[in-house]
Amino acid sequence: MRLPPRAICRSFFLAALVVTAACGPPGGCRGDYCGTLVFAATGQPDILLPPVTEQAVPRDIFDQIFLKLADIGMSTNTVGDRDFQAQLARRWEWDDPLTLVFHLDPRARWQDGAPVTAADVAFTFDAYTDLKVNSPTRAALRSIAAVTARDSLTAVFRFRTRYPEMFFDAVYHMRILPAHLLREVPRDQWTTAAFGRAPVGNGPYRFVSWTPGASVELVADSAFFLGRPHIRRLIWRFTPEHEVAMTQLIAGEADALEFLGPPPNVQRAHQAPQLAVYPYRGTAYGYLGFNLTANGDTTRPHPLFSDREVRRALSMAVDRERLLRSVFGDLAKVPPGPLSQIWSIWDTTLRAPPYDPAQAASLLERRDWRDANSDGVRDRRGQPLAFRLLVLSTSAVRRRYGQLLQEQFRAIGARVELDVVENTVLQERAHAGKFDAVLASWVTDPTPSSGIPQTWTRDGFGGGNYGRYHNPAFEAALHRAATARGTAQEAQALWRTAVQLIADDAPGIWLYAPDNVAAVHNRVADVRIRPDSWWALVRTWRIPSDRLIDRDRVER
Amino acid sequence: MTPRTWLALLAALTVAIAAVALLRRRAARTPAGREFFRHPPAAPGLAVLGFFAIVAIGARLVAPYHPAAQLDIVGLQNQAPSWAHPLGTDTFSRDTWSRLVFGARISLAVGALAMLVAVTVGSIVGAMAGYFRRWVDAVLMRTVDVGLAIPRLFLLLMIAALWEGLPLPVLVLLIGLTGWFGTSRLVRAEVLSVRERDFVAAARALGAGPARVIFRHVLPNAAAPIIVSAALGIGNVLLLEAGLSFLGIGVQPPLPSWGNMIGDGWRQLAVAPWATLFPGLAIAVVVMALNAVGDALRDALDPRREVT
Amino acid sequence: MTAWLMRRLAAAIAGVWAVVTLTFLLIHLAPGTPFLPGAERPADPAVIAELRARFGLDRPLPAQYVSYLRELVRGNLGVSFARRRPVAEALVEAIPNTLVLAGAALCIDFLLGLALGIYQAARARRAADVVLGNATLFFSSVPTFWLGLVLLLVFGQWLRWFPVGGVTDPVLYSSLPWAGKVADRLWHLALPALTLGVVGAAGTARYQRAAMLEALGQDFVRTARAKGATERRVLLRHALGNALLPFITLFGLAFPFLLTGAVLTETIFAWPGMGRLAAEAIATRDYPMVTAAALVAAVMVAAGNLLADLLLAAADPRIRVASE
Repeated sequence: MRLPPRAICRSFFLAALVVTAACGPPGGCRGDYCGTLVFAATGQPDILLPPVTEQAVPRDIFDQIFLKLADIGMSTNTVGDRDFQAQLARRWEWDDPLTLVFHLDPRARWQDGAPVTAADVAFTFDAYTDLKVNSPTRAALRSIAAVTARDSLTAVFRFRTRYPEMFFDAVYHMRILPAHLLREVPRDQWTTAAFGRAPVGNGPYRFVSWTPGASVELVADSAFFLGRPHIRRLIWRFTPEHEVAMTQLIAGEADALEFLGPPPNVQRAHQAPQLAVYPYRGTAYGYLGFNLTANGDTTRPHPLFSDREVRRALSMAVDRERLLRSVFGDLAKVPPGPLSQIWSIWDTTLRAPPYDPAQAASLLERRDWRDANSDGVRDRRGQPLAFRLLVLSTSAVRRRYGQLLQEQFRAIGARVELDVVENTVLQERAHAGKFDAVLASWVTDPTPSSGIPQTWTRDGFGGGNYGRYHNPAFEAALHRAATARGTAQEAQALWRTAVQLIADDAPGIWLYAPDNVAAVHNRVADVRIRPDSWWALVRTWRIPSDRLIDRDRVER
Repeated sequence: MTPRTWLALLAALTVAIAAVALLRRRAARTPAGREFFRHPPAAPGLAVLGFFAIVAIGARLVAPYHPAAQLDIVGLQNQAPSWAHPLGTDTFSRDTWSRLVFGARISLAVGALAMLVAVTVGSIVGAMAGYFRRWVDAVLMRTVDVGLAIPRLFLLLMIAALWEGLPLPVLVLLIGLTGWFGTSRLVRAEVLSVRERDFVAAARALGAGPARVIFRHVLPNAAAPIIVSAALGIGNVLLLEAGLSFLGIGVQPPLPSWGNMIGDGWRQLAVAPWATLFPGLAIAVVVMALNAVGDALRDALDPRREVT
Repeated sequence: MTAWLMRRLAAAIAGVWAVVTLTFLLIHLAPGTPFLPGAERPADPAVIAELRARFGLDRPLPAQYVSYLRELVRGNLGVSFARRRPVAEALVEAIPNTLVLAGAALCIDFLLGLALGIYQAARARRAADVVLGNATLFFSSVPTFWLGLVLLLVFGQWLRWFPVGGVTDPVLYSSLPWAGKVADRLWHLALPALTLGVVGAAGTARYQRAAMLEALGQDFVRTARAKGATERRVLLRHALGNALLPFITLFGLAFPFLLTGAVLTETIFAWPGMGRLAAEAIATRDYPMVTAAALVAAVMVAAGNLLADLLLAAADPRIRVASE
């Protein structure tokens, strides 16, 4: 307390001196294999053990640490095996229509030196499907009956049925795990395993360190069997708020951000001299979902939304193009149904109920919804046309859409009140059917054949099918499309039929399917962004030696 | 902004200043009043409070638009301040000035009502603890200790989690019911000292019941610190509401409050700073005024000052 | 003295228990369920049910409470649902970060506040006092997180004098010499500490100015002046010495507030401290983490109060007598 002011000044000055010294040009790395890339990430990983978590941030990180047998191509085509790229498996063949045989690359090594074997593959399948591991991916593997090791480099997959996306299911969901390091860990303790805090993988990058709440660092494995990665260090920097991550990017403190957000942010990135902007197909779609069952009682129909005409009328009351332009500018498209742009069945020739307030009003009036007491809200037998809309508090886009929709519905004479709640509450209520309508958004797999059943059929009751939409005709059409054996065009036509059925039924108002835009520092060359997994191809990116900046030369 | 709204604004300003000038002349007759206005910031503070109160009440006249009206969600987003929109527009193309004016209503009402709840509960609890002493005092004060031991924001986050979508009255109650701990300690101390004075003893001797003694004799004599802490407390509520709205659990849209204006606007801080800066400044100015008035009240109501 | 201390300790422990119980009840009764995947992936109800069973959430609440307390007494705080690791480990990482931020903020608060208050008292009612008076009034009235946002915009993004969030530089830190490490930490600390510290300092300055002016008007100061003490000595020795006492209580009160009251500042500046930990735990319904955070906060408050009482007792013998 008695510190004289001069002493305070001096200590400040000293500190300033040290800061200046630290910022001086560091010596260090030169040549083709330098480079440090800092990714700004919103949120932080829970655990770095693939079967246990499905979150995006850990997924991005272990993309670099653990390989799959083969990976999807830039086309994200999921049908057949034509577009897939070899990874741990050097090649594969079909012994019969239900038996798929993978030949592992003999050069593949675990980062502790042990070879990657077919036993690891069998172990991995066993772990992913083990009830005790309780992997969220388990359900996606249900059409595979068994995985066995024929010899140390040959793994055999047996399927239960035949369908177009067998190969995709065999390779896409599983990252191969080291049996020799994980066998001893009791399966019911994987959810909190220590291995998940210091993983040992087989990919292009090795794990270095994890500072909780702050950063994860990886370093290139110079002996990686598919070619030494050019960029030496990868660092994820965690920030709770997306806007702060964006500011780090603009201020040059981060090199890459996979999703910029609303148009003003994209503009800021365009204006930042050090950034290059990369648009790519979005994997998400957002919608307003109607609850077809009564709020809080899934056995009774909803007083408003069980009526298809009311749902269609409300759909027609929303100027979806205009809302889209308000929130996304030209960086999204109105989806014609529950579709994300990454899917090959994305098709704008499909027709959801169009924007037509006059038609909407007359539909409502035909159903006897009139504003009898002229308070601006329609009513029928004393019941006002009013409902509550669940909105996720942590999503800026959905909060904006919630307020915009409120205004759109007000214009047609429907009163909407927003329940802005956290994810835990939103999902709990949505799963239990305790809501009228919900603003939801799904990030999808590259294929519709898993996502649509989870969210729009009976399979998703109590789970992703919040509104308990159930239409047997739609489900039958869906099944035909997913199991079609004909040509790609024929399959496409079947999908189109199915989607048109649900679009006409309007169990939701499909609002947006974003075009994603990423920004990466412009010193990085050969940037390719795969829509389903943004940073999956980082090992092929490089920084030419004449464009290295100080950050790239730092020796650890 | 139309000439009519500018005129209304000017009128509000004039009325506020005139009222304070009038009050000042009246106050000059009493020593407490003179003491109050001896503080240089007291008069402008009062004028600011008066101005915002008038604007809040006459919001319809001063605001050119409905606060939730999305004027043109494609063409008028994030507009910089201009003659048409003196404080710009926000990301929903709503007029920031109109929202600020209607927000004054909500924010000031939430502040005042929540403070009323807090002061009422705090005074009653403090008076009971101080008057009855013994186990009543022990139980109540231990409760207060527990209340003070949980950080308020943490407590509010947890209690707010009990509701799904927080209705405004509940929000006001919550803020009030988590804000009385300090007041109760203050009142208890005051009551302990008042309790032993002659007139209280006399009232008791005349057979007055505890409720009558507390409300008629004890509390009025402990009023000064209560009033001062209430004036300062409203400011705290405003700040708290802003923080809660930032976390998404304050006043719910489309109702505007200064807090949720910041909560809605801060993500656009780099492109539309006005949507965040102005409500923040409004909060700061009102809290400043409340602090200034509170300080002046403290001195004006301080019994020791009257002696000197 | 010992008896008094024991009584205070017992009361403190009872208080902590009450806080833990209240928190446990509130967070378990709140709607919302833990273990959900991200908001944009459909959840598999079977997976969630299995996790609930594994962590004992399918048992009745009283049974859960009893086993929680039993583990707590053994020193086991449980395993965090959301971070998938022992709660104690997460706390051990977060608490130092918070202590650093709170400590720095308190230093700014008290040093700057005291200096301003003294300076203003010495120049009472002159131009400098009026200007500073308005400035401190303003800064004690702004919402802290709003100030943080503005500082971040101006010094982080526009001027780029300070880093945008974080505790250390993720690229450089590991390769810096120790002095550089310290400097790097200080550099990252500057904005969040200033945000919290400036708002606090403004309040402290206002308080200190009033206390000094009151002290300056009292008899013993007049005596000192009459005896020919220099104005500087009067100010720093007599008036300040007397005005400092209430500060100790203030310190006891301010410390726990800074410890958890910094939720918003920690969020804005990506500072991995207790406040953020607690807020995220509430948002994800991470029950063990929430109760543990409340426990830490309650212990800190109790310790802060106890410390303030002890300091006061040491500074002023009359208080000790009175409370015995």
